[in-house]
Amino acid sequence: MIWLNNVTKTYPNGSRGVENLNLHIEKGDFVFIVGSSGSGKSTLIKLLLKELEPTTGDIIINRVKTNELSSNQIPYLRRNLGVVFQDFRLLPNKTVYENVAFAMRVIEAPNRIIRRNVPAVLALVGLGKKGRSYPNQLSGGEQQRTALARAIVNNPPILICDEPTGNLDPETAWGIMQLLDDINKRGTTIVMATHARDIVDDMQKRVVTLKQGNIARDIKKGGYCDEA
Amino acid sequence: MRPSTIKYYLKEGLSGLRKNLLMTMASIIAVMACISIMSFSYCVASNLHHILQQMEDSIGISVFIGGTPTSEEIEEMKTQISKIDHVLEVRYISPGDALEELKADWGAEEDIFEGLDETNNPLSHSFQITLDEIESQDSVLQALKGIDGIDNIRHGQTETELIMKANKVFNIAGFLVMLILGVISVMIIMNTIRISVVNRRVEINIMKYVGATDWFIRWPFIIEGVIIGVVGALLPLIIGIPIYAKIISALYNYFPVIKIIQFRLVGDIFIVLFPVALAFGILLGTIGSVTSIRKHLRV
Repeated sequence: MIWLNNVTKTYPNGSRGVENLNLHIEKGDFVFIVGSSGSGKSTLIKLLLKELEPTTGDIIINRVKTNELSSNQIPYLRRNLGVVFQDFRLLPNKTVYENVAFAMRVIEAPNRIIRRNVPAVLALVGLGKKGRSYPNQLSGGEQQRTALARAIVNNPPILICDEPTGNLDPETAWGIMQLLDDINKRGTTIVMATHARDIVDDMQKRVVTLKQGNIARDIKKGGYCDEA
Repeated sequence: MRPSTIKYYLKEGLSGLRKNLLMTMASIIAVMACISIMSFSYCVASNLHHILQQMEDSIGISVFIGGTPTSEEIEEMKTQISKIDHVLEVRYISPGDALEELKADWGAEEDIFEGLDETNNPLSHSFQITLDEIESQDSVLQALKGIDGIDNIRHGQTETELIMKANKVFNIAGFLVMLILGVISVMIIMNTIRISVVNRRVEINIMKYVGATDWFIRWPFIIEGVIIGVVGALLPLIIGIPIYAKIISALYNYFPVIKIIQFRLVGDIFIVLFPVALAFGILLGTIGSVTSIRKHLRV
């Protein structure tokens, strides 16, 4: 599903984001990307989203070499990737329903499909009755569920989460993790960058630890690694 | 493109204009100023041209021949004149014909010409020359001077030259002012669209992550620019129609003398001005939004 072959990203100021990174993520995997600040987590996420171009090396997502895509093909790559951020990034002047429908509208989905899929996905994330609320009327957990609903409403095969629990209290965070686990069990590949040791330890999923732009440790099933 | 997508573009474009009302109004006023100047210049230029055309029809060049030429000589001169560029028609007028015309012009008072007949007619043989365009009068006059036997040339040079000069000055001045206002309009529209882009930063960011195409993101902003252009073009025209009609009728009322010349009709003017102004307004709006998008919307 995702291949990184000898990927190096050097920033214009000379600092290294990642160096000679080789990573293979299979379809249906649930992978935590952990590491301290400056370890290359953000760079990796941005490379996957094609916000950044690798300096050298290939990135293959869904059998497409993304570093060779032209700029007008990027939107079609991104339709394979759902994204969730730490700060939710909801539109404050749109309702929960509209925020989720927005993701379908901008890829020009027919209204009929929007009316069918949005309520279904809101029910899935446990917001079946919150469709008419505005983001500022929701708790942090509910806002992140809305963002999650928006990320998966177009059925992307891959979901990329950048510190999705970073702004949430532990209990709420745990709810989001269970939801992600459910989504993963339905076949969606999940890549999640995080600092949250408890969550990584409890979930017992694949953990990739980055250190200074390299993979320091990659275990199939395990917990947070301290030495990184 | 789906109808729902077009509806989305229009809705977003209009909401962008509404949220940014002050800048929207400034942009519309800038376009209005530009279109107003363009319309005013066109009205004046078009009327001057119209008047020139009427003069071309009525004023020609009269050439008088000294002495008593033979009919062969007259025929010869007529051919020579006909060969000059831009000469449309040459009509020979004998002294007898001239006398008849003179009598007809004076109407009831024709008895002052009594006693004049073929034997003592003081009038000359002459040619009445009609030109295809009044601008070529100078070159024709030069050519006429080279023909032997011509005694005197009469023409409406000063009047036509004046109108031609006025027309030229007006065209140039109008074009320059329009150009400057056009550039200002585009700059103000660019700023309006830029503010609209900044207002929607978050939205655009999300659109990019969920895979909206670049054109999907751009269209609402282009629509914004086009709406500014259309409104800015239509308003001065709608206001302009009654003003033009008023000015024309006032000119006829206060200066009865000018009834001999005809101004252009309201319909004639605006049937040309409407599509041109609309197209120009849309062009200004599109240039403004597209350049702004290119600068500020890196999608």
